[in-house]
Amino acid sequence: MDESEDVPKDFIKLKSEKLSVDEVSELVISPSCGAVSLFIGTTRNNFEGKKVIHLEYEAYISMAETEIKKICRNVRQKWPSVKHIAVHHRLGVVPVTEASVIIAVSSPHRAESLEAVMYCINTLKASVPIWKKEIYEDEYSWKENKECFWASSEK
Amino acid sequence: QVSVLYFARSAELAGLRSETLSVPRQLTARQLWDEIVRVHPRLAVIRDQVVFAVQQEYVLLGDQLLVLQPGDEVAIIPPISGG
Repeated sequence: MDESEDVPKDFIKLKSEKLSVDEVSELVISPSCGAVSLFIGTTRNNFEGKKVIHLEYEAYISMAETEIKKICRNVRQKWPSVKHIAVHHRLGVVPVTEASVIIAVSSPHRAESLEAVMYCINTLKASVPIWKKEIYEDEYSWKENKECFWASSEK
Repeated sequence: QVSVLYFARSAELAGLRSETLSVPRQLTARQLWDEIVRVHPRLAVIRDQVVFAVQQEYVLLGDQLLVLQPGDEVAIIPPISGG
């Protein structure tokens, strides 16, 4: 394996096709890393007693990619040993139990990648311009993350 | 003339996803919102929930002075729900 090709990389993708855990984890695997940590966000089938049929996601794509790149930069500042970071987010219709987001981070030892993955998903929910519409049997609802710094706190 | 982009609930209320609007070159974020609501009155109901993204930087709907160039991108950003 050519060691000089193993420079730290960010893999960011927004796409409407089904996400693949295998694909995302393979992106971050590195010969110098002993740990790959993963987060998968999946679609729940219920919200406050209502049956969720599916989710629909839309994004301000160019800004979402820029904001995710900022998150990756911050991860590398906080955890300099982190090697590769992959963030894949699905857009459009996501059926129940399928993944909406997969985040994978590799690092030499496990503490950094575990913490970095948590930071990524928490910060994504607070700052990346992506919106989720929950479709119920007879109505729908635009969701609001509690992490969103400008959303009203009372509903 | 700036490019205005609408997302999520704001796109539903405005009835469109994007348009070009003529606005003063310098104005506060609050004033920019007023200009947009003039064109799309139905947006008034979400005033307390949205922020702008001007050239992809978040801007609260307050007194911050915006200096806009022709072709700048302004997006209406309702509360986000990614992840």
